Amino acid sequence: MSKAKRLFQDVLWDNKVLKIFAGSKSSVLDVLKSNPMFEDFSNSELKAIAKIAYEREYNPGEYVFLMGQPGAAMFIVFKGEISIQREGENGAEIELTKLKDGETFGELALLDDSPRSATAFVVKPTKLLAIFREDLLNFLAVNPELGGKIVKKLAIITGYRLRMTNDLLMQKQAELEKCREELSEMKND
Amino acid sequence: MIDQSRQLRSRVFYTLFFIFGALITIYLLAVLSPLILPTLIGILLAYVTKPLLTFLRKKGINKSLSVTIIILLFGLAIFGIGKKIYSLIPSSQQQLVIRVQMQNKIDRMYLELLGKENFSSKGNFVDELFGKQMEPLLASFNDFFSMDKKEAKKFKDYLNSDAFTENERSKILSQYNEINNYVFPKTVIKKEVNSENNSPLPKLPSLIPASKITQFFSELSKWIVMPFVFLFVLLDDGEIKKFFVGIMPNRYFEMSLMVFESVDRAIGKYLRGTILQSSLVGLVILVGLLLIGFKPSAAFTIGIVAGISNAIPFLGPIIGFGAGILYAMIVEEITPIIPFIGNDAAVLGVVIVVLIAQFLDNTVFQPYVLGKAVNLHPLVVVLGVTGGSIAFGFWGMFLAIPTIVVFRVIISTIYKQLKAYQIIY
Repeated sequence: MSKAKRLFQDVLWDNKVLKIFAGSKSSVLDVLKSNPMFEDFSNSELKAIAKIAYEREYNPGEYVFLMGQPGAAMFIVFKGEISIQREGENGAEIELTKLKDGETFGELALLDDSPRSATAFVVKPTKLLAIFREDLLNFLAVNPELGGKIVKKLAIITGYRLRMTNDLLMQKQAELEKCREELSEMKND
Repeated sequence: MIDQSRQLRSRVFYTLFFIFGALITIYLLAVLSPLILPTLIGILLAYVTKPLLTFLRKKGINKSLSVTIIILLFGLAIFGIGKKIYSLIPSSQQQLVIRVQMQNKIDRMYLELLGKENFSSKGNFVDELFGKQMEPLLASFNDFFSMDKKEAKKFKDYLNSDAFTENERSKILSQYNEINNYVFPKTVIKKEVNSENNSPLPKLPSLIPASKITQFFSELSKWIVMPFVFLFVLLDDGEIKKFFVGIMPNRYFEMSLMVFESVDRAIGKYLRGTILQSSLVGLVILVGLLLIGFKPSAAFTIGIVAGISNAIPFLGPIIGFGAGILYAMIVEEITPIIPFIGNDAAVLGVVIVVLIAQFLDNTVFQPYVLGKAVNLHPLVVVLGVTGGSIAFGFWGMFLAIPTIVVFRVIISTIYKQLKAYQIIY
């Protein structure tokens, strides 16, 4: 970054007074840009998406959504930490994964309102960006090209997650098979 | 401990904030009550126009240009329809001619029904059975249409002007003479009292125009809000929704998004459905009246009146029907496209057209266009329309059902979503 540009940003952009008027759109853009889903989107495209994004702040201990609730929005972690959990057989919560800045969860809600498959629990003070399904559909109607790009990315992410799940399933099946073999060997012995 | 005191502080803050907000809202609603109606109509118009905006934007036209096109279209439509309706409003002189024509028509119908040649001759069995009962009714009708001396002079002056062809003049004159020459009831030129001279209070001519101007500007200042509301709701890029969703607690965030969307969709569908339904009723009446031989301008006007008033349950169809009957009574000549409708059957024609329109409305338009959105109990409809008219006059009557439907949609959607999000059982 050039000296002049940095000076301009320090003096004007990072100035708190100006920030009040400018809002936090630039940081929303940064978060969107850092997300794999929007990484190759242009600035004007990201600005259009930022218009339909909601900023929400959560305190530790709050739930973003509960398992079984109808899904309505996809979330991107702006800042903070989210734990994705599922209830185990004994009723205790099992943590499936932890999500940090720039990571996405609840994408399937952009496709339909099927119930959430897990619970999203807030670990640290967290700021989230949410994109609502119906807003995306309206956006798609007016900006079919950009909307199509988002849906394609969504399909890629869903496909990637499906592949990961398949790999995990294969791995677990292999482990199970190995366990069975070991068990039968032990029986034979 | 810290969390508990923080929770308590938050509760106190939000409770006070809510009470304060509610009080301010109630106060503002009371003070700004004259602005409620223009604001509501502005929102309704924006709602109805939104699909057109989406259509234009889908065609690649940017938002500002799309809104400009919509406003221009609206302006042209209002100007065109306004001009047409204004040109169809009869002047005070034309009204006198219409009164003569209507009185003549009613007298003729009366004589025909009773099989009489004039009021003193003997009629058929209807005359024998009901003649005595019908006489006072006709007398009061004639009394209503009759002219005083001043009006009669104005009528004659107008008749002798260049506004009529020789043929028309002689026809109207013969109608005028006919109603004057009937032996019974003698009504014309009997109101000799000049109300202006007998008025106990002195007139203050200087004050009247001033008060009218004040009244005009006060009305204008109220209604000036409407185009702004229309424009801002149309231009809104989701900021209004963002604001309301923004003040929702996190727990209700997704649910509030769903409620907003469902309510928005249901209300939009209902309002557009109502407009489509009213337009279809108006169109059926327009085509029907053209088929029975009404002039295109008259058929168009009656179609618009019937279509708009159709939005008022029960009373609406009567208004449309009344407008058609009134015209049928004064119309001199009709050139029906359907062969079996004669010149004298204009009234019957209107009755048939309105009945067909109402039949189609109830069996086709309402069920298919509006679906179940408007499935209100008839008692709710009657009470709503009556209550609306008592509280807010004509507009209250007009907007009562949409308001009830909107509230019903909001409440049922909130209830459904609260259950879906496991917030209530």
